[in-house]
Order: sequence, then structure tokens, then C-alpha cells
Amino acid sequence: MNAQSEIADSVKAGEAPFDFEATFRSQYGRIARVIARVVQDPARAEELAVEVFLKLWRNPKAHGERAEGWLYRVAVRKGLDELRRRTRRSRYERLFGSVGRVPTPEEVHTATEERQRVSLVLAAIEPRQSELLLLRSHGLSYEELASALALNPVSVGTLLSRAQQAFRKEYVKRYGKE
Amino acid sequence: MEKNDETNVGRWVDGRLAKLAPGSEWQPNVAQGLARFKERSASGKQGGRGWTMWVAAAMIAGGVCLLAFLASRERAVRFWKSSYLQKVNVAQVSAAVKTVKHGQPAPDFILKDAAGAGVRLSAFKGKVVLLNFWATWCHGCEMEIPWFVEFENQYKSKGLVVLGVSMDDDGWKVVKPYIEEKKVNYPVVLGNKTVAKLYAVGNMPMTLLIDRDGTIADSYIGVVDRSLCQSEIIQLLGD
Repeated sequence: MNAQSEIADSVKAGEAPFDFEATFRSQYGRIARVIARVVQDPARAEELAVEVFLKLWRNPKAHGERAEGWLYRVAVRKGLDELRRRTRRSRYERLFGSVGRVPTPEEVHTATEERQRVSLVLAAIEPRQSELLLLRSHGLSYEELASALALNPVSVGTLLSRAQQAFRKEYVKRYGKE
Repeated sequence: MEKNDETNVGRWVDGRLAKLAPGSEWQPNVAQGLARFKERSASGKQGGRGWTMWVAAAMIAGGVCLLAFLASRERAVRFWKSSYLQKVNVAQVSAAVKTVKHGQPAPDFILKDAAGAGVRLSAFKGKVVLLNFWATWCHGCEMEIPWFVEFENQYKSKGLVVLGVSMDDDGWKVVKPYIEEKKVNYPVVLGNKTVAKLYAVGNMPMTLLIDRDGTIADSYIGVVDRSLCQSEIIQLLGD
């Protein structure tokens, strides 16, 4: 059985009349990159991206024209969940002195202080605001943001501005003005 | 003026967030992703049968490991008893391996539940207590929670108390929605550094079984062996 027919079977199982494989092929890279932006680990981002597509496959209601926005929303939430989980874990390990995972040389090299700061601030502010900022920085237009996050297009600008203020406030609170 | 400030903040935030963009040298591997997806979705399609097969395989593997462990443990004990190494401070060595001492009274504590009420461990004297140290970020803990929910359902009337001690630094803000989502049916309290030291909580999950007299009967570091834990509960309840 070739890949096309397997995916077609999968689609039949989910009873969704849309080309799942084409969506996977066209969106996988973008979705993995959105997640990588949050988790800062390409390999983990690809694992999570597969999970996002599995979720789409199991959710026929999300199939169709709005699948792209749905994927972005789920991807950014998945990334933020992972980020918060990691932040909580590292805080626990620092507090109780347990032996944590040893970072790989690559992690040590790439996890620059600034990136860590930005990630920590994103994990600390309101999830909806982090989602908005991350997707905007990924290049989504106001219209795409409204579709992905189920917002009123008219209010996207205001919400984005509030999210930026919240980010700045939290950043300054933690690290001072720079 | 206000608009300018907003624009400046917007630019400042954009500049910070731009630093998170993954490098252009990394290109997600679509073919590999698709292969992973197919593998995972195919195992999902097997539904109940696939799940049962995995459980059966895990049980067989667990049984073999247990037998091997018991046999090797017996040999190791024999070797230890005949060895000059026994002169080494055994208490010190075992303290490093076991975090809590079986047969000792469980250290008492009072911790607060979600409603702010104090829960004292010694108040459960006369019951068998399953004391579980866990956190929302801990994958192993997540796996155990449904088992403990089931134990609570099955053995509460016979005298079992499951008590969850969350070690989440973020407190109820993260714990409350989590236990609601997981439909936790037993009391959960918030741990602190003092209790963590008292029980030498390091890696999680960590679970203790405390008998009706308040004595530590057994402890598990890492995910409990569900069936072993269940049979111990039954044994302790029957005492």
C-alpha cells in the first residue's frame, strides 16, 4: 500500500473529504517552525508537529478550509505547553537540587541568554497573548491571526497591542530596562 | 505621542521575538514527519487490539524482569553477606539507595488542600495511605494518576486513602486545573521544601504505602508497578 492510499484510508476513517496528505506536505514545515520558535529544539519541534497532525487527523471537524488556522493554533499551544512544562521542571530541579538532564553541547551553544529570557517571558504572560505574539512574529497577517485564534478581525490590532505591552512589562519586571 | 509609544513597544517586542526564529539552515524533514505520522496513526487504527497487545507484551516483559530481579537480588544478598565489603557502612549505602526507611513511622506533616484547609497525615492513622509525590510537568506522574483514581474508587470503602502531594512551584494556579482535567477523586495538597526534605523527595513520581499504624510499608521511586502496588494495597488492607 503506498503512502497516498494509506493516508486516503486514514481520511476515510476520519470521514473527512479533504486531502490530508497534501495538507501535511504543505503545512508540516511551517508548523514545525512555529513550534521550534517556542521550544528552541528542532528535533522536539518535529515530534510535536507530528502530534499536531495526529490531532488534526482525529478531529474531522477541523478538516477543510479552516485547517490551516486550526493547525497554527494547536501548534502554538503545543509549543507553549511544552515550554511551561519545562520551565516548571527546571524550577523544581533548581529548588530541590535534583539532578536534571545534562544539556547537549548544541543546546548550550544555541540557548543564548536572550532567547531564554524571551521564552521565559512568553511562558509567564497570558497564554492567549503569547499565542498572538508568536504567530504574529511568524508572519501571520491580522486576518490569518483572527482565523487561527478565533478572534474578531476588528479587535486583533488592539489585542496585539495589549499583548506587546504585557510582554514588555513582564520583560522589564524580570530583567530591567535595556 | 501615545501612538508613537505603542509603535516603539511593538518594534521592541518584534525585535525580541525575532530572536526566537529558527535558523534557515534547518529545514523540517517532511518525508520523515510523514513516515512518523503514518506509523503513529496506524497504531491508533489498531484501536483496542493494539493496546491490549502492548499491555500483554509489557506484562510479560515485566514478569520476566521481576523474576530476573528476584533471582539476581538473592544472589547479590548472598554475595554481600559473604563479602568483606559488608564491613563498609551498610546504613550509609542503603540510605543512598532508599530514600525512606521501611518499617519506620511516616514523618508527619500538615499541608494545605485547594480550599486552604490543613490536611494532617497522622489524621489518617487507622487507614492505609498511598502517599504520592507528583508534579504537573512530570510524565510518569501523569501516567499513574488514573491508576490512583481507580484505587481510590475500588478501595476507599475498605480503608484506603490516596493522598497526592503536588510539588509544583507554581502552586494551585497550575495544579487546580490539572486535577480537574484528570478528574482526580482523592485529596491533593501542595508540598513544600520541608516535606520534600523530610521524605527525601528527589526525582518524581515517588510513592509510599503507609500501613494502618502509620508505618512506611513500601516505597517506589519512579512510576509504580501497578499490579504489584495493587496487591500490596490489598495485603495491607487485609491486615
